[in-house]
Amino acid sequence: MTHPHSSPSAADRRVIIRTVRLKKQYVMKDVVTEALRGVDVEIFSGEFISVMGPSGSGKSTFFNMIGALDSPSTGRVFIDEVDVAQLTAEELAYLRCQKIGYIFQSYDLIQYMTALENVTTPMAFGGVATDEARKRGMRLLDTVGLGDRWSHRPIEMSGGQQQRIAIARSLANEPSILLCDEPTANLDLNTGQEILDLLERLNQEEKVTIICATHDHRMMNICDRLMWVRDGQIERVARRNEVQVEVGTIDGE
Amino acid sequence: MKEIRVSDQPRLGFRRVLRITADGIRYRLFRASVTVAVIAVAVAFLLNILSESLIKRAVARDTRDHIEQSRLVHSWTSRLGAPGTAETILNELANTAADDSRVEELTRMGGLGPDELVQFQRAAGQTIEYMDFFAGLDYARRRRLVHQAEGLAIFDRLAGDANFQKFVAILRETPSVRLTSTPDALREFLAQWPRIRIWTEHVQAGQAIAVARIAAGLNGRDLTQALAAADRDFGHVVREAGFALDEESARVVAGQARQILDQRTVEKSLEHRAPRQIIARYHDILPGDVTTALLWDFVSEPSRAAQYLKAMQAVGISGDQLQPDRVQSLARHWHEMNRMERAGRLTADMEGGWLGLGQRMAWLLLVSMLVCAIGISNAMLMTVTERFREIATLKCLGALDGTIMTMFVLESCMMGVVGGIAGGLLGALIGSSRMLVAFGPAFAGSIPLVDLAASMGVAILFGVVLAAVAAIYPSFRAARLAPMEAMRVQ
Ligand SMILES: Nc1ncnc2c1ncn2[C@@H]1O[C@H](COP(=O)(O)OP(=O)(O)OP(=O)(O)O)[C@@H](O)[C@H]1O
Ligand SMILES: [Mg+2]
Repeated sequence: MTHPHSSPSAADRRVIIRTVRLKKQYVMKDVVTEALRGVDVEIFSGEFISVMGPSGSGKSTFFNMIGALDSPSTGRVFIDEVDVAQLTAEELAYLRCQKIGYIFQSYDLIQYMTALENVTTPMAFGGVATDEARKRGMRLLDTVGLGDRWSHRPIEMSGGQQQRIAIARSLANEPSILLCDEPTANLDLNTGQEILDLLERLNQEEKVTIICATHDHRMMNICDRLMWVRDGQIERVARRNEVQVEVGTIDGE
Repeated sequence: MKEIRVSDQPRLGFRRVLRITADGIRYRLFRASVTVAVIAVAVAFLLNILSESLIKRAVARDTRDHIEQSRLVHSWTSRLGAPGTAETILNELANTAADDSRVEELTRMGGLGPDELVQFQRAAGQTIEYMDFFAGLDYARRRRLVHQAEGLAIFDRLAGDANFQKFVAILRETPSVRLTSTPDALREFLAQWPRIRIWTEHVQAGQAIAVARIAAGLNGRDLTQALAAADRDFGHVVREAGFALDEESARVVAGQARQILDQRTVEKSLEHRAPRQIIARYHDILPGDVTTALLWDFVSEPSRAAQYLKAMQAVGISGDQLQPDRVQSLARHWHEMNRMERAGRLTADMEGGWLGLGQRMAWLLLVSMLVCAIGISNAMLMTVTERFREIATLKCLGALDGTIMTMFVLESCMMGVVGGIAGGLLGALIGSSRMLVAFGPAFAGSIPLVDLAASMGVAILFGVVLAAVAAIYPSFRAARLAPMEAMRVQ
């Protein structure tokens, strides 16, 4: 399915995430892994971006950097033109809580909380009153199709159900940026499509900036731009319409 | 278009933090109870030692007084039987208050004036101090310093000038030996020594005369028999001879002496076959195995006491004054003394040291505190460290560092309170019941309830504070890290 979709016009192309020579090394004892080797990207407000790349290429590391979840070895990350390194602990917490939604590759739900509590926890941290949080949480669970499982704990649910809870949680505080690390990896075709539709709707109607790591080719139909990561570097960036011309030859690899 | 305007994250209300924490504990109930159990065991261990020491200390205090009281006859027989040695006289002077009648007695016997007495008492104190110093030296050192002199003879020797010079010279070469005062002070004391010697000899001479008078007044009785009449004619003899025996203690001493005599009479009956066999038959043992303990067990019941008295009369031991209830009360007294002496032996080491608990107990207490501290901090470190991933996730969702710290410190406080109370009760219970078994239920009254409750409070507080402090460090470390760094820590 295709949409009559155009990228934002030049006037309102506001850069929301910008990285400058971003590098990240993981040092474990004497082994040094270069996970990112100098990444410069600009992501515009309201964009939908697909990040593709083989396993171990540094996608998750890139996400952690632009989501202010980890500190770069060198280089800078600007979110809305604010250098993340300059933010105080309180401001960082606010940013992570209110402005960015995360869907982790391994879900990382809190095991002792029910589905609903998992979804309402970011709201609690953000200062939303309990009743209001419950109402909104139930609505979000309904959106991902798990309204009837609100009282279940993560261990009582399948991988796909947990992933959907994680998605609902990421939307708790109506974020401006949504970072999704393989959001459809564990879902069947139908559910996966529903999630994709949801992401697309958020992008279209709420103007949420979405950055998605994925191996799912359907994502290509809804994104504005694609980025290929290889060995910790951006190998290629392309608009969707450029890519679709050469369908069949790109296959990620 | 959604805008990002960064501001400060609001603080989470305490009640919501509490709820999240409580939910977490409820979910990990098993893991949490293991931690609580570790804390409880650690606190119980600490409080067990603490309560045992406190009870032992109280029992020691109670029995010491009691035994001393019941030894009045012993002390009077030794006092009336022979003059004291120079050491005992000096010791007594050094350790008795100036207004005690005992001091007055010594003065009278030595024919000392009041001024002399004051000097004598002070000198006696110094003598004992120096004696302790020499007694504390090992043999080789003492030989080098004072040759073969021992006891008070050391002062006789050092009073000689040449010997003193040699002593000071050797003392200077031996820095490991520390005199309790300066050499000059010792010299001053030694200058007084001949006088002290003479005073002491005077007292001894006076005591010898007094003892001779007592011996003349015995009229064929032994001292214990005579003391049984201390509240009557013999009391006069004692006072006439110059001893300070007031009416009140005379009555007590006489009562105790009569008790001892009656006890002797009853125990003497075991030399005869017939009474011995009664007890042997009752306990179903050989007559040769009958002991005084079995005898007193046997007569502690009225009908058996009567039976035994009859048997005693049959073999010719007069029981004129002995009634069954008297025998019974003797049995009671015998048992009580037995218990006291046992308790006295068990608590013999309860002196000095920290809190007056004795060296051994104080040391044990210190070790148990250390074990408690290590146990609790280990348990808390583990529970926090194994939850770094959860901390990381909470941080990704926007939790403030303070919120995370509050959560973990709250959790450890709750665990500390529950574990501390459980462990405190358990430890106090085990400690006091162990002590009751050791000393006998008669000592239940000696249990210092207030001290015990206070120590329980201290131990619980110790547990809570330790648990909280042990949780603060790792949770602080985790909360300060960037979320993904915390997630990587293993
Ligand atoms: N905590 C870590 N410590 C050390 N090395 C790490 C760590 N996390 C990732 N790496 C390394 O960094 C590189 C990039 O990892 P990353 O997780 O970003 O890959 P990815 O693109 O997300 O892979 P996948 O598609 O499998 O999720 C890999 O070589 C990986 O081994
Ligand atoms: Mg990844």
